Formats: sequence, structure tokens, C-alpha cells
Amino acid sequence: MVENARSLNFVAGTVLFLGMLYILGPLYLTLTTATQSYEFMLRNGLVWYPGDQFFSNVIRIFSETRIPQQMANSLVVAVSDAIVTCVLSFLSAYALVFFPVRWGSVVFALILATIMLPLDIRVITTYQVASNILSPINALLDITGLNSLIANVFGAPVMLEWSVLNTHFGLIAPLVAHGTGTFLFRQFFLVLPRDLVKAARMDGAGPIRFLFDILLPLSRPSFAALFVLTFLGGWTQYLWPLVASSTPNMQTAVVGLARLAPDMEGVMPDFPLIMAGAVVVSIIPLVMIAVLQRYLVRGLVLSEK
Amino acid sequence: MSSPTQALFANRWLPVLLVTPLALLIVIFFYVPIFQAFYWSFFLERPFGGGSIFVGWANFARVLSDPQFWEAGKRTVIFMVIGSSLAVLVPLILAVAADRQLRLSQPARNVLVWPKGVAGASIGVIFAFIFNPFAGILSPLNQWFPGIWAPGIDGTDAFIMLIAAHVWSGIPFNFVILLAGLQSLPRTMHQAAAMDGAGAWRRIFDVQLPLIMPQVFLTLVLEFTESVTSAFALVDTMTKGGPGGSTNLLVYKIYVDGFNGYDLSGAATQTAILMVFVVLLTGAQFAFLGRRINYER
Repeated sequence: MVENARSLNFVAGTVLFLGMLYILGPLYLTLTTATQSYEFMLRNGLVWYPGDQFFSNVIRIFSETRIPQQMANSLVVAVSDAIVTCVLSFLSAYALVFFPVRWGSVVFALILATIMLPLDIRVITTYQVASNILSPINALLDITGLNSLIANVFGAPVMLEWSVLNTHFGLIAPLVAHGTGTFLFRQFFLVLPRDLVKAARMDGAGPIRFLFDILLPLSRPSFAALFVLTFLGGWTQYLWPLVASSTPNMQTAVVGLARLAPDMEGVMPDFPLIMAGAVVVSIIPLVMIAVLQRYLVRGLVLSEK
Repeated sequence: MSSPTQALFANRWLPVLLVTPLALLIVIFFYVPIFQAFYWSFFLERPFGGGSIFVGWANFARVLSDPQFWEAGKRTVIFMVIGSSLAVLVPLILAVAADRQLRLSQPARNVLVWPKGVAGASIGVIFAFIFNPFAGILSPLNQWFPGIWAPGIDGTDAFIMLIAAHVWSGIPFNFVILLAGLQSLPRTMHQAAAMDGAGAWRRIFDVQLPLIMPQVFLTLVLEFTESVTSAFALVDTMTKGGPGGSTNLLVYKIYVDGFNGYDLSGAATQTAILMVFVVLLTGAQFAFLGRRINYER
């Protein structure tokens, strides 16, 4: 189709240029500031050209701060979150789509409801639950009267205690308790031809065989999409790792980065160091996005449908 | 035709076994905390396990009579309305522009997804520096007009900074969704409209925008929830709720009350109120806005 839309194309080009400037500007300034020394920044403020102190700033991040240890935590949290989410979501979506589960739609609705109330909203009580994840069992024993019975027989009621705070498990588990993955896999399974199961059954494949030999290979792109999405989500978490870790050594890199700035009034923070930290902390997810762009976009689109 | 049950496995316990791990995690870390927030809102809870007393609606009465709660609630709504409208509008304009086959379209599609990899807290730290009144990008402005940009003193400036960072992080998701919506429109629609004499500008408003309303609606719904919650990382790294409480959004106030003030009952009560608000809001959007949108293609 040939037509003259020069004015529109000009405006569209300008819009795109401004949009990219909006995204890249802050990132570029982060990079240039990370290459300056503290004294230089104090004298000149923010500058648009790079200096030569980048490596010394990065070396200071690695030697003077806990960012390296915290990066390892972030990696553990993000990778485990992504893997566990992928596996559990895959299994639950498989159960809900390929079996005649009674109350299946109710279970699915209950899983999906997690999207409505993110972790940040319910952080106070999630923290309390994480401080003793057996507390629901205690409460059940209390309510059912079993505990008074036990107290009569054994002299004391049962009070189970297991805190997952300040552990990797505690950092990861509440992130996994989310319905996006199940939703994503369910959408994918629903568009698969229904005859797949019939054919598999005719060939004598049971549900486990079907799962591993047919469904799993077909789902590879969905796995990749969900993995990238969940990894980025785990890496960029802030509030939960902030409260769930009580020692700096258990904090994630993003939390550690936010703690680099001193809380003192009137002191100019060491911005070059902090910006070098921001570069170090963001480099893994950014590279991941650049390389696995396809899967990320796919994941975002799938999670919307 | 075969009956739908033939396309299923007739196993009884296997599906239960498969759903259990995720369901267990969701019960423990989603439903129990939600239940506990409502439960605690009716009890006076002492920190460090000092026991609890049933107080009826007293917590709600206390929270609802606290002017700070209403202030934070009002600011949350303002942030939500301005923040999410911009966080949908800006990506929408960008998506319409990127949908045209220009030289910049391809790089833009790549670059505009990058913020997804930068944590809210990281961009908060970065924006706090860029907008620093002494060293930041607007500091020259302050030399000519002293005090014109002072996010540390002026609440409005701090709020603008917060919104700018929020929109920045919200671009990838909304841009990708809206662009995918635009690209799913059949080319023939464009051609038919062009045949009828609609110019390129006119087609944006009469063909493209009405047809991607479902996506716009969806991003808006998700963005509302997102703006209520994701603001925490930004507030904590940029303003700490200041100056003078002008950026103290509800999600931040709950954190401060609960973890710094040890007011567990108050924090739980506010959590309960916020959760009801979010659920009602989502429901209302689906009931009122959702119905007006034509999903037919």
C-alpha cells in the first residue's frame, strides 16, 4: 500500500526517539557516573561523558561491599524461583487440563486469585507466617480441640515452630506461590489438539509417559518464556527479600544496592560507587533480556491472554 | 465426534498429587496470610508473641479515624490514577509509533523492553541521583532559579520524580502487550479504511485504537494493582515517604507501621482495607469498563 503519511511517520519517528531517550538516558547517565571518581562528581555533578574510574569503582564494589555475596543470593533466588515455578506450574496445569478433576475450575480460580493481591500488599502477615510456617497447624490443633486433648494426656499442647526467615527457602517459597505460570501453561495446553491424548492412549501411553514424551517437548517454548519472566521477577524483587533476610549476607543484590546510600542528611552519597553497583547488579538481567528477548516478549504476551 | 472425557486421563489421585505442591505453597504463603490479616484486624496483637485480645472493630475505628491513614490513602489513589494512566498512555503512543514500519521501530522494540531487567529499587536509586537537586540533571536549573527543583523539600517535586520512575519501569510490559494487540489487527482493516478515504492519522483513532481497547483495558487493570504495590521499592529508595509524608503511600505506611512501629494490628487492619480496595477496584473495572469494550473483531 503506497500512500503519503510523511507527517505521521515523522511524528512516529520522533516519538520513538524520545521513548528510547527516556529509557536509555538514565541508563547512560548511570554508566557515565560509574566511571567518575567521587571527588570529580562533587566538583562537576552529573556529566554526559565517561571518565576513567569505572574499573576502580567496580573493584571497590567487589572488595568493599557485600554485593558479590548478595549477587550469589540473587542468583540462587532467581534461578530456584524460575525452576520451581516452571516445574510446579507445569504439573498443576497438566493436572487441571488433562484430568477430570472435580472442583477443577474452583482450584484454578483459587490459584489465579494470587495474581490480584501481590506479595507487597500482604507482606506483614506473610512475614509472620514465614516466621513460623507451622503456625497454621498449631491453629488447626487449637480450633479442633485436639490440642487440649494432647495437653491433657501429655501435659502440654503441641506448639510446632519452624521459621524460614533468613533462609534461601524463605526467600524463594512465597515468590513461587503465584498463579501466572499455571495460567500460562493452561492457556498453552488448551490450544493443543485434543486428539493428542486419544492418540497417546491408543498407543498405550499412560499419563506419566504422555507427560514426559509428548507434553514436555511441546512445551519447551513456554518453559523458556516462563523461565525468563520468573527469573527477572525473582531478581528484581525488593520488599520481600528486604524483610525476609535479617543479615546482610542473606540479602539479595537489589536490597544491598539500595543500602549503599547512607541515610545521613546533608552528606552527598558516593554516587559513582552506587552507580557502579547499579551497573553490576543490573548487568545479568539486562544481558538476559538482550539475548533472550524473544522469550521474554513471548512470556509477557502469553501471561496476558 | 468423541466425548470430551475421552480426551482425558481417568486417573483419580494423580492429578491431586500433581496440584498439591503448588497448592500447598499458595495456601501457606497466600491464603493463610490473607486470612491472618483479616483475623488480626479484629485483635489487638502484641509483637514478639505477647498474646492477643479480641477487640471487635476497634482497630478499624482507630485506623479510620487516623488522618495519616486518609492522607496516605488519598495519595495512593492520586498516584494510582496519574501513574497508571501515564504508564498506559506513554507505551500506547510508543506502540502505535513502533507499529509503523520505520527505521527506528526495530531498535525501539528491543530497547523499550530493557527496563524489565532493572529492579524498581535500582531505578529508584538511579533516579534519586539523576534528580538530585545538587548533583543531578536539574541542578543547573537550581543555579538560575534557586529552589525551583527540590524533591527533598517540595512534595510535588518528589511526587513527580516518583511518577517518572514508575512510568519508566512500567513501559516494557504495557508496550509489549499493546504492540502485540496492534500487530494482531488484520492488514485488510487498514486497507479497507484507506479505500474509504481515511488517512493515516484518522485510521489511528478510528481503526487502531478502538480495536485494541481490550488490551488497553487489560493493561489498565493490571497497572492499577501494580501501581498500588510496586510503588514500595520506589518510595523506599527515593523519598522514604517524605518530604513531610507527601509521598507516604499506603503500601509504604503499612511497612513502616508494621516493621518499624511494631503496630501489627494497625498494619494488618490497613492491609485488610487495602486488599478489599484492590479486589473491589478490579471487580468494578471488569463490571463497568469491561462491558463497554467491544471484544468482537
